[in-house]
Amino acid sequence: MLRKNWLMAVLYSPALLLLGVFISIRYGAAEISFQDVWHAIVHYSPDNLSDNIIVTSRLPRALGSILIGCLLGASGAIMQGVTRNYLASPSIMGVSDGSALFVTIAMIFFARSSVELMICSFIGSLAATCLVFGMAKWVPGGMQPVRLAILGLVVGTFFSSVATGIAIYFKMAQSVSFWYNARLDQMDLSVIKLALPWAALGLLMALFLSKSVTILSLGEETASNLGMKTGLVKGIAMISVALMTGASVAIAGSIAFIGLIIPHIVRYLVGTDYRWIIPCSGLMGGIFLCFADIASRFVNHPYETPITVVISLICIPFFIYLVYKKGGKHGV
Amino acid sequence: MFKPKLNRFPAVLLTGVLLILAVIYISLTNGSFDMTLGDTINTLLRIHPDPDNTTVIFEYRLPRIVIALLIGFGLGIAGAVVQGVTRNGLADPGILGISAGAGAGIVIFIFFFQTSVITDEWYSVFVRPLFGWFGGLAAAGLITLFSWKRGMLDIQRFILIGVAISAGFSAISMYLSLKMDPDDFQKATIWVHGSIYHATWVYIAAVLPWLVCLTPVILLKHGMLDLFQLEDISVKGLGVELNRQRLVLLLCSVGLVSACVSIGGNITFIGLIAPHVAKQLVSVQHRYILPVSGLAGMLLVLTADLVARTVAPTEIPVGIVAAVIGIPYFVYLLMRGKS
Repeated sequence: MLRKNWLMAVLYSPALLLLGVFISIRYGAAEISFQDVWHAIVHYSPDNLSDNIIVTSRLPRALGSILIGCLLGASGAIMQGVTRNYLASPSIMGVSDGSALFVTIAMIFFARSSVELMICSFIGSLAATCLVFGMAKWVPGGMQPVRLAILGLVVGTFFSSVATGIAIYFKMAQSVSFWYNARLDQMDLSVIKLALPWAALGLLMALFLSKSVTILSLGEETASNLGMKTGLVKGIAMISVALMTGASVAIAGSIAFIGLIIPHIVRYLVGTDYRWIIPCSGLMGGIFLCFADIASRFVNHPYETPITVVISLICIPFFIYLVYKKGGKHGV
Repeated sequence: MFKPKLNRFPAVLLTGVLLILAVIYISLTNGSFDMTLGDTINTLLRIHPDPDNTTVIFEYRLPRIVIALLIGFGLGIAGAVVQGVTRNGLADPGILGISAGAGAGIVIFIFFFQTSVITDEWYSVFVRPLFGWFGGLAAAGLITLFSWKRGMLDIQRFILIGVAISAGFSAISMYLSLKMDPDDFQKATIWVHGSIYHATWVYIAAVLPWLVCLTPVILLKHGMLDLFQLEDISVKGLGVELNRQRLVLLLCSVGLVSACVSIGGNITFIGLIAPHVAKQLVSVQHRYILPVSGLAGMLLVLTADLVARTVAPTEIPVGIVAAVIGIPYFVYLLMRGKS
């Protein structure tokens, strides 16, 4: 049963991904027909308007949304596995906000190049992860799912408030908000290229860790009794999450809820083994964000709806369902 | 244990009022246009008024101060009520999504019934809190509905659902406000972030009736709030219509919050901190907590507004200053709390 679902995911997702890319290229504010798409693929010429739209705007957008969805889905899966917390995810744990805060500070005070900003984004997400989990150790019962979520949310709000405050103080609000509002519509191919190695590194680490995460998800005691160095695994997991979230914030700002919801759907499909959950979360996340992005173009056609609104409206009912269903079970 | 604290009430009240007066004085004289004490007093008492000073004080600074005081008072009392009713020290109208619900209600009203977002027409300013009230009620209802399980209100789940509902309502507000005119949208964004930048006397007149009507009701029910700190069974055993009293108090506090949100936008964490400050200062009886909490709220919003106005070369929304002050305190409360 499990294996079959896993196979199904592997078989269907490339098809869905291709379909997503195709629809994403085909539909949007400007009319682009099938012939135009074909033309752009076969003989691309920079002078042709529709070719230009496809290559500089639509294609990066489709690929970028898939990449980001993939990164967020995978980091959510790792966080949920390592912390054994059904509410863990990059946005709820304040990781994306930390990343955004560091990018803001860097932009205002020293950094000029995209590489520096990206590195700051990684450091920020790592710092936020460490801070939230460090604080969870101090707060009584801080590792309980709901408590940890509240802590993460509050720390995240703090980071984003400080970031907004600093940005307004230095009159940089406009250029800074560019960084931490979700912006799939302004995808830059060069930034994606820049982030790709880091993202790939993070994903590889995640896949490499997946077996250990499965063991860790049985409980820390069980894991260390089985001879696992839990501290090491957790450390690598944190770095991997920081790399993936940092890269996704650097590409497109912070996007909430994907890292939370996708692993749950995937777990429903493929069971509890993180060797399947992590890669499948990545795939599903990519597919989901790609289609959410397409939906955002249709909700208020021909204007675009912010992707955050679309995702919130889809995911919040699910989130409430999760809290309602699981909230009272483990003494939280 | 409570005895020595009881006597502190008058002293606390007096100190609070003095502090507020001091901050009012600083707010009046400081800003992008500094004034001397003599000028201020002369202008206020209409002795040889200078037209420039008159404009600055009566058109800009004074309405703003009064609004900050009203919002702070409303949020402080509403926070104390919400914390008392839910028996939860972490409850806050902002965190729970009541403010976001009120905000969404107001945005819906603006979207459907008005072409321009923030006009100073009497009608629109006065009807706005009413729609905010409906929105706030919807939010409060949804939160209670989803966090009620097997006949009991789980506090942690209550907060988390509140956060989710708040995000949902904010998404709705954002979606609707994007469909408005770009100009109006800009104003709406500032307002959603919590700002009392555009304070005028009309707003004060709009929010005052709500405060005047609802505050006495809440103050009269202080004994009820004390009883709520007991177990449900004990309260019922005393012959109290528990759910009805709870409902009345919650309705009142939602009304207060909506009135505040309708003029000041979403200012979080004031309703959280003020009651805690009050509980530290005076006894656990709500007869003392409620007024002191209102005073603390006034002081907090006034100070936050002063900081927001004077520290940066451009205005920072008050809500952001309040969050930066409030969140460390919230974490501190979490750390002190029991597991």
